[in-house]
Amino acid sequence: MRKITSYLVSFLLATGFANFTFAQSVTVSGNVRNSATKEGAGAVSVTVKGGITGTFTDDKGNFKISVKALPVTLLISSVGYEMQELTISDAKTPVQVEFKTSNALGQEIVVSANRVPQRIMESPVSIERVSAANIRNSPVANFYDVVTTLKGVDVTTSSLTFKTPTTRGFNSSGNTRFNQLVDGMDNQAPGLNFSVAAIIGLSELDVDGMELLSGASSALYGPGGMNGTLLMTSKSPFKYQGLSFLVKEGIMNTDGKQRPTSPYHNWNLRWGKKVSEKFAFKINAELIQAKDWQGVDQRNYSRAATGGRVIAGNRASDPNYDGINTYGDETTVEIRSAVLNTIGGQAPFLKNFIDTLNGGKAINVSRTGYTEKEVTNPNTVNFKLGGSFHYKVSAFTEAVLAGYWGTGNTVYTGSERYSLKDFKMGQYKFELNNRYWSVRAYTTQENAGQSYNTTVATRLFNESWRPSGGSTGWYAQYAQTYLVGRLGGLSDADAHTNSRAAVDALRPLSTSNQFRKSYDSIRLLPISKGGALLLDKSDLYSLDGNYNMSHLTHNFADIIIGATYRKFVLNSEGTLFADSTGPISIQEYGAYIQATRQIVNGVKLTFSGRYDKNENFKDRFTPRATALFKVSENNNIRLSYQTAYRFPSTQQQYINLAVGSNVRLIGGLPGFRTLFNFAGKPVYDFESLRKGSIVQYNPAEFKAESLSSFELGYKGLLKGGMFLVDAYGYYGQYKDFLGRQVFVQSTTGLPIAVADTNNGYRYSIPVNSSVKVKSYGFGISVDARLPHNFTAGVNLASDIIADVPSNFVAYFNAPKYKANFTLGNSAFGKSKRFGASLAYRWVQGFLYQGDFATGNLPDVHTVDAQVSFKLPKTKSILKFGANNLLNQYYYNAVGNAQIGGLYYVSFGYNVY
Amino acid sequence: MKYIIKNFKTSLLLAFSAVLFLSSCNKKMEQLSDAPVTPPTGLTLAQTMAASSDSLYYKLLVRGGLINKISRTDSIFTMFVPDNNAMRVFVNAASGGAIPVAAPDAVHSAFISGLLPAASANAIGSFNICPQAITTASIPATFPNFQYPSILNPAPALSAFLRLTTFPSTRNGAYLNNIPLLSTNTLASNGVIHKTAAIALPPSQYLWDRINTDATFSLLKAAIQRADADPTAPGALQSALLNIGANLTVYAPDTTAFKNVLSFLSGGALNPAMPNAVFAGFIGTLPITTVKGIVVYHIMGTRAFSNNFPTTVTNYPTLLNGAIPAHPGLGLRATFTGPMVSAATVKGAANGTASNVLINPTPAPGGSSDQFYLNGVLHRIDQVLLPQ
Repeated sequence: MRKITSYLVSFLLATGFANFTFAQSVTVSGNVRNSATKEGAGAVSVTVKGGITGTFTDDKGNFKISVKALPVTLLISSVGYEMQELTISDAKTPVQVEFKTSNALGQEIVVSANRVPQRIMESPVSIERVSAANIRNSPVANFYDVVTTLKGVDVTTSSLTFKTPTTRGFNSSGNTRFNQLVDGMDNQAPGLNFSVAAIIGLSELDVDGMELLSGASSALYGPGGMNGTLLMTSKSPFKYQGLSFLVKEGIMNTDGKQRPTSPYHNWNLRWGKKVSEKFAFKINAELIQAKDWQGVDQRNYSRAATGGRVIAGNRASDPNYDGINTYGDETTVEIRSAVLNTIGGQAPFLKNFIDTLNGGKAINVSRTGYTEKEVTNPNTVNFKLGGSFHYKVSAFTEAVLAGYWGTGNTVYTGSERYSLKDFKMGQYKFELNNRYWSVRAYTTQENAGQSYNTTVATRLFNESWRPSGGSTGWYAQYAQTYLVGRLGGLSDADAHTNSRAAVDALRPLSTSNQFRKSYDSIRLLPISKGGALLLDKSDLYSLDGNYNMSHLTHNFADIIIGATYRKFVLNSEGTLFADSTGPISIQEYGAYIQATRQIVNGVKLTFSGRYDKNENFKDRFTPRATALFKVSENNNIRLSYQTAYRFPSTQQQYINLAVGSNVRLIGGLPGFRTLFNFAGKPVYDFESLRKGSIVQYNPAEFKAESLSSFELGYKGLLKGGMFLVDAYGYYGQYKDFLGRQVFVQSTTGLPIAVADTNNGYRYSIPVNSSVKVKSYGFGISVDARLPHNFTAGVNLASDIIADVPSNFVAYFNAPKYKANFTLGNSAFGKSKRFGASLAYRWVQGFLYQGDFATGNLPDVHTVDAQVSFKLPKTKSILKFGANNLLNQYYYNAVGNAQIGGLYYVSFGYNVY
Repeated sequence: MKYIIKNFKTSLLLAFSAVLFLSSCNKKMEQLSDAPVTPPTGLTLAQTMAASSDSLYYKLLVRGGLINKISRTDSIFTMFVPDNNAMRVFVNAASGGAIPVAAPDAVHSAFISGLLPAASANAIGSFNICPQAITTASIPATFPNFQYPSILNPAPALSAFLRLTTFPSTRNGAYLNNIPLLSTNTLASNGVIHKTAAIALPPSQYLWDRINTDATFSLLKAAIQRADADPTAPGALQSALLNIGANLTVYAPDTTAFKNVLSFLSGGALNPAMPNAVFAGFIGTLPITTVKGIVVYHIMGTRAFSNNFPTTVTNYPTLLNGAIPAHPGLGLRATFTGPMVSAATVKGAANGTASNVLINPTPAPGGSSDQFYLNGVLHRIDQVLLPQ
């Protein structure tokens, strides 16, 4: 790494000396302000027409630009304003520019679709863009939530600050089929595998824009982008200057349903400073503090190894009750075989009686659990700190040294509910951006802090105050009390109730010191030592670069090439991965090329191809081809064939973790077969064995899963630019689908038997399915610019999966239909200072399949709204906002937090 | 333009109203209900008994302080209820014959309510109550009887699990132990009632108590003692016959039977007319293994009332099969007259003819069949059973 860095520094210096040629002589100064509000307009581009010189207005709208000579024509432009051309003949008097707002649609510039700037109207693939202005006018309390209003986006909400978006299905908490890039850096935690852009990434004031690529995108962005890629870019301190702050104060839990009404704090600070034309820096910070939403699903769950389901019953009616958001009750024992039959052996006169109990069926009993509210810290805190130094080595080359660091407490749903406590992650990069090329080196440093598995911790806590096993254990006393009760004539339900009351007589209350002290000692003890603490400190090191050769090849085609090298260092000290003997290293590298050519007027073709190799897997090649047909001005039809793939995640490769449902998650690499002696003690398919059929595990090649997708789309401006219509339809096929399958191994080495489904070792092993799953869908949106500054938008999307065998769990997790409706006005009232917006979202109910829990989700309707008032003299804005205005609790994954209303008032200063 | 704005405002209002309406109807999470539980209806066991014509047994329950127990709605019981005829017979016996069977019910009732010790009434009543609801459909018809605990714990201080057990059966009819059930499956809200032809009295003695004290079985006792002289398992048989956890059937040859076979074995040297002591002495000279083999051949490790014997000869294992698994065991057979056993036989493998069970199910000392003890049942037979 050190060697690479020194190369980069040398390269930077060489480039700097070679290009360091500023030779301007006249300075033109001026001010740009909003023609309606007379508010200084910051971050407005001021460039010399026909030249390469340019600058941006500062936070007060002032600018200075050096030109060679007068007269000179300046171009004044910014998204949301009409571009102006000014001819300057006299530099002595500062120029005053009255900048008129523009409602024009489809003017955004996007980069991610082809890795080069282009108008969004001309993107050859489906893309959505969220600008800083969109965020500013949105009613959502957290900028990340704006993504949820985009067409075709599904979001899984684990908690207040942990949200996972995706497109085109296969969503979950910690989705690994959807890339999230922050300023070019993959935001996925290298060990825990989920993307953390919502909690560790950009702060709200520093977001310049977000671009969402729906569907396969590996050809340009590498492994992982099976279902889409979200690219977030921060604001340059050259462009966005000055001090900005945004304070949001809100309330949650207003109905006291989950907990008493609680405050919501969200404070943002950003300071961008252009020290000179060559050097600028910025720092920014964001703090969110609130009482988190809770998982309050107390429904009874049948936690089979795979294919669990919600079942009837509760703690009072089902002795084996296992509440979805109740923990510790995953421990279950069949007391007839474990205890009662022993009593029957010692007291034969009771044998027949014992045999008749519960009609001779199994008497499964679970330990008494604790609710999520009782075992998780309600305080969610998220603190982000970021900053960067920017140095223009030349007119065309900028060096950036940046860092994003965050920490926080939140709750994540994986195979269990994990309390991420004091989780920390930092991303640090150095990059050089030239108009033709860029080089970026970055690292992601992850530290799980005091994160723990709530299920495991609570089960262990139960064992700490009263062990389950042994002649005086919890189950022995329970079963004995139960038997005495039944012998005394008690009904089955009453005997269970009495037994539980008796055996839990000394069960610590969650509010007791005993509970807290013991629980804390367990959650702070590493998993490898019998506790619940994750010690993950995995890292990622990445180096990538690309070169736009178009200036050399434009006669033939616009060609871009690039390459990537990544190295994962997994380090969990045996608490997550099979790395108890030392960190595990995984290396992968890849390269891509893209060529674009306009073959005839109005038809542009792009071909891309990417090659990747991971040291644990065979190499992969992913092609992409797109075509853009210009039907008329601002009306384009796009057609694409895209491919994507993902190597198994680091967890799918190396995890070694026992989880709550008596299953050990292990990696799919061949080494695990040796570690667990599959040759000496073969393993068998759990579900088949449970049905009486013996099917031995036959390891096949463990490989990347892939997707081939066709898409047809249209984007156009209609009615003189009043309406922007975007529509797409896609069809995709997944191959070598990665899932998990549970296998069972005899503990004794004796031939496998059905009883081993209860007594044997259970392993959940990643496998590639031979099933080819198909998915298809469509999306359509209409945005309108209406009179009197009104804007309106509506979108509808559909995702459908097909050809899924009945015994295959696909985890598709997408509603058949979902829709958004937005209505806004950016300036109304006498002095046009008021703004307002309303967003309504409907998500059709669907079957959610998750490792933690599976079940039907009901339809969700939510309304967000805001009203804002500008204070131009102080460059401030006051906003009253509501997320989930009507406080209708909803959830979008079984077992996840249920989200209620959040109402806030915010005050922002110098918010661009 | 005004028209446009007006329409736009109207549309906006409609859209907003629609959004609020839709948003206000988020569904609650899908709930799966437990299978509907129909609350028990009708009379409790106590109410059923109070309203029953079997008033004498109700008096016994009152005397025994059991009404509260069978009134509970959080508990389920099976009651075996003797009818008034059975209770009159019981009162007659319990009063030592002082109260004739034919006496008015008021006399019987007065005896139960005033003279029958409350502890006895409680024990008798408890012995005829079993936990949980056992309808005849759930009582097996297999051999041997289905051993099922009553709610009577003879020594609660010793163990909360200890129970005196009953032996309901649906083989050859429906029985509690060897007592026919007159009617079955009367459902109450908290249990079920079966009516019995006689009252089942809780045993208070062990098998050994009878063998040890009844002169009829003095030679069987001598044989057991000789077998227990086995140095590898000294006193094992006697211990089993005194073990409350055991569940045995003893086919007990009387002295005549022993004398006959010993006389034969002695080649006539021993005359059946000789005193028992002579034969007991002779037994003491026989090889221990031989005697033990014969004794264990008379004991089954299950409890077999005569009404559970098959109606055609069928062989069942004895304790001898513990040593010789392939041994054919004993051939049992019963003959019924109505629900009652009128004749029963037991045949040893080497016996020329089957031995008769001497049918008399009344209690000791007169009773000779289906003698009910804490740890088993005893049938007096007229031959020594020979395994080979």
